[in-house]
Amino acid sequence: MKKIGGVIVSHGQVASELLAAAETIVGVQSHITAVSIGWHDDVEIARDEIARAIKKVSDGKGILLLTDMFGGTPTNISAMFIKKGEIEIVTGINLPMVIKLATQNKEMTLEEMAKSVEEQGKQAIYRTSELLEPHK
Amino acid sequence: MLESKVKIINPLGLHARAAAQLVRLASSFQSEVKLFRTDNNVIADAKSILSVLTLAASKGTELELKVKGNDEQKAFQSICDIFANGFGEI
Repeated sequence: MKKIGGVIVSHGQVASELLAAAETIVGVQSHITAVSIGWHDDVEIARDEIARAIKKVSDGKGILLLTDMFGGTPTNISAMFIKKGEIEIVTGINLPMVIKLATQNKEMTLEEMAKSVEEQGKQAIYRTSELLEPHK
Repeated sequence: MLESKVKIINPLGLHARAAAQLVRLASSFQSEVKLFRTDNNVIADAKSILSVLTLAASKGTELELKVKGNDEQKAFQSICDIFANGFGEI
């Protein structure tokens, strides 16, 4: 099965660490890669790096760009790549979103995957104090 | 359908890597594998790690395991075993 590729784009090393954490849990993901935008990086350089990353994980089924924060530079630079049906962005990345993209096991369009990753990210936020009581 | 109560006995509970192990095992069978947490009515698909993690099952938690399908006997046994040996962590 061909997979939808993923590029995690963030400030600093958040992207590569999120990917490393996901890979520790669900194994190495050849269809997902990470791009860290340095705090003082030139926009052109950052854009080239994202372009290379997209090429690297592209399998012809579309690319999902996962960025750290709506309105931030990684998202704004990623937004230059949006192309309907081919490249989508979901912002506010968290670990469950990476795992969702990593564990795709049925045929989905890019749009469906983007929606499901967005949903997963929102669902995965809990205020746990009332849910988890310690078992002694 | 086969069902049984299983208990989490490893100190870290059903954490991410343990859950991943369970999911890999459950996914190797055709049968449908579900886990029920009866104290708060959470149902998880044992073939999806994100679903299993929503059980938030720490050490001591009891879950209801239900396995249904043509290879249920084998699936049920191996999954009961992985719980019984605490995901190899004890």
